[in-house]
Amino acid sequence: MKNYIINLSGSKKLAMVGLILGLVAVLLGNPYDNTFAKVNVKALSVESIRDSEIINVKELAGWIIEGRVDYRLVDLRDEEAYKEYFIPTAVNIPTSKLLESNLMRNQKILLYCEDNIKAAQGWFILKANNYKGVYILNGGVDSWKDEILFPNISANASPEEKAEFDKMVEVSEFFGGSPQVGETEGEKEIKMPKIEMPAAIPMNTGGGKPKREGC
Amino acid sequence: MTALTHILSKVKLQVTDKEHTHSHVEAKPYSNPYYVGFGLGLVLLAAFVIMGRGLGASGAVSSVVTVGVNAVAPEHAQNNGYFSSYIGDGSVSPLKDWLVFEVLGVIFGGFLSGMLAGRVKGGVEKGPRVKTRTRFIFAFIGGTLMGFGAKLARGCTSGQALTGGALLGLGSWAFMLAVFAGGYALAYFMRRQWT
Amino acid sequence: MNAPFYKFDLFGFDVSLIIAFVIGIGFGFALERGGFGSARILAAQFYFTNMRVLKVMFTAIVTAMIGVFYLSYIGYLDLSLIFISDTYIIPQVVGGLILGMGFIIGGYCPGTSFVAFSTGKKDAIVFILGVTFGIFIFAELFPFIEDFYYSTNMGRVTLPDFFGLSYGMVVFLVVLMALGAFAAAEWGERVMAKKGESK
Repeated sequence: MKNYIINLSGSKKLAMVGLILGLVAVLLGNPYDNTFAKVNVKALSVESIRDSEIINVKELAGWIIEGRVDYRLVDLRDEEAYKEYFIPTAVNIPTSKLLESNLMRNQKILLYCEDNIKAAQGWFILKANNYKGVYILNGGVDSWKDEILFPNISANASPEEKAEFDKMVEVSEFFGGSPQVGETEGEKEIKMPKIEMPAAIPMNTGGGKPKREGC
Repeated sequence: MTALTHILSKVKLQVTDKEHTHSHVEAKPYSNPYYVGFGLGLVLLAAFVIMGRGLGASGAVSSVVTVGVNAVAPEHAQNNGYFSSYIGDGSVSPLKDWLVFEVLGVIFGGFLSGMLAGRVKGGVEKGPRVKTRTRFIFAFIGGTLMGFGAKLARGCTSGQALTGGALLGLGSWAFMLAVFAGGYALAYFMRRQWT
Repeated sequence: MNAPFYKFDLFGFDVSLIIAFVIGIGFGFALERGGFGSARILAAQFYFTNMRVLKVMFTAIVTAMIGVFYLSYIGYLDLSLIFISDTYIIPQVVGGLILGMGFIIGGYCPGTSFVAFSTGKKDAIVFILGVTFGIFIFAELFPFIEDFYYSTNMGRVTLPDFFGLSYGMVVFLVVLMALGAFAAAEWGERVMAKKGESK
């Protein structure tokens, strides 16, 4: 038997290797089956979500105003919440549908939900599936509302704080919010004004112009 | 060690043996086609891993044609649906294209291999029963059909058959079968040129 | 998962052009080694006397296919980022038929014609001129055939999708088919050779 194998021509050996690899392939099935993923738990337990992977709402506001298209903003909440309000340029992909979506592994993906919980969940799912650039919007919609849409400042704030606030006023009004001055501590329910979507912001469909890559 | 040399001598024998029995083809020591195919497959794999795309050839010619037509008749080129897709917004020359550079490499690589094997010499490839002029006419006609067919199918054998085939694209495999069908269908009528 | 490198921005467009050149060298070198710089050898495929085209092509396809399968299985290569053109089934089949006819008439395909050109074959030059002309005609006729060109778009369909088989199964079947084709090719060459000798 050993002699037979040794005496086979080089081509036949290649053929045998090919056949064996083919057989193994049948057993392996599908390389891109997304049900199970191999996760390096040691690495993940040592590093928590890095600071560089946390984006705060002010940064995001800046990106949207600049008109950047190099990231994809993903709203992980359910459809109803999305319909009521979503941060401009976001697409609605519930956590359960993340892996079936058209998000690509080489894109910059920024996740948000109401706070941080679903976002962290989504972060984990994507990272486990080898997505490279996954980020979390710190504080989610809640922070967005607090800092961007309804920034408030107490009546006796310092001049620096007032200057900061004035900058935020412009940003806030860009997004259709309404800044507030004065005491809001102690008020339980802030009446949510009807939030209008700023019309001019282009929807970020992600991916950019597809480059011709055929023959 | 002796086993290895034994295998190698067997391989050499196989190669030269094949060439001897073909009276139509000159006895040139071309390499074993399976090894060549394996090497070619590795090149293709490298393209996938490094660039995320496969090989190609006809696309480079399209770029050159576009540049030519654009130079001679720019308005016509830009109004034409096909050329304009190559011109894009006009800021980058269509020649600054991956395929163009790849084809330049193909020419260089072919030359290199030919030089190393002493196969670089002029001449015309044709069968014994046909005149050179006829061969040229057929070469031109064949090329025209090739160019047209390649554009219609979105690729030639390098792009669609090799690349698309390795990636198991449906259209690519259908294309491959059609190419072989077309070739074999006409082979009888063209036998004068080759045999 | 780091590959394809270019899609993960490991280098830019200009560097990719250099890489194109290098990959092209490998491509051209392999083609010439395989004898594809000769129209007679290419055409011999269709007369069963020299089945190199089939052997080289399918070996290359099988090699790359197996490579892609295993590299994406171990998570090194991201298959979804590799470009596959959409399947336009009818134009591709019709284009393939035309191309096959051009192949046997002209004796080259675009890639191999460049290799033949690099080794000095004059008919390759004529062929390349023909290809240029053919593409020019295509572009000029484009407004008329545009509808046909874009017809029957099935989207990005792979054989596993189409036949409902797992990727691995299709890989295996392709390997089997290729090996069968090689066996038939070897047999065919021997038969034709005997016919040649007894002429």
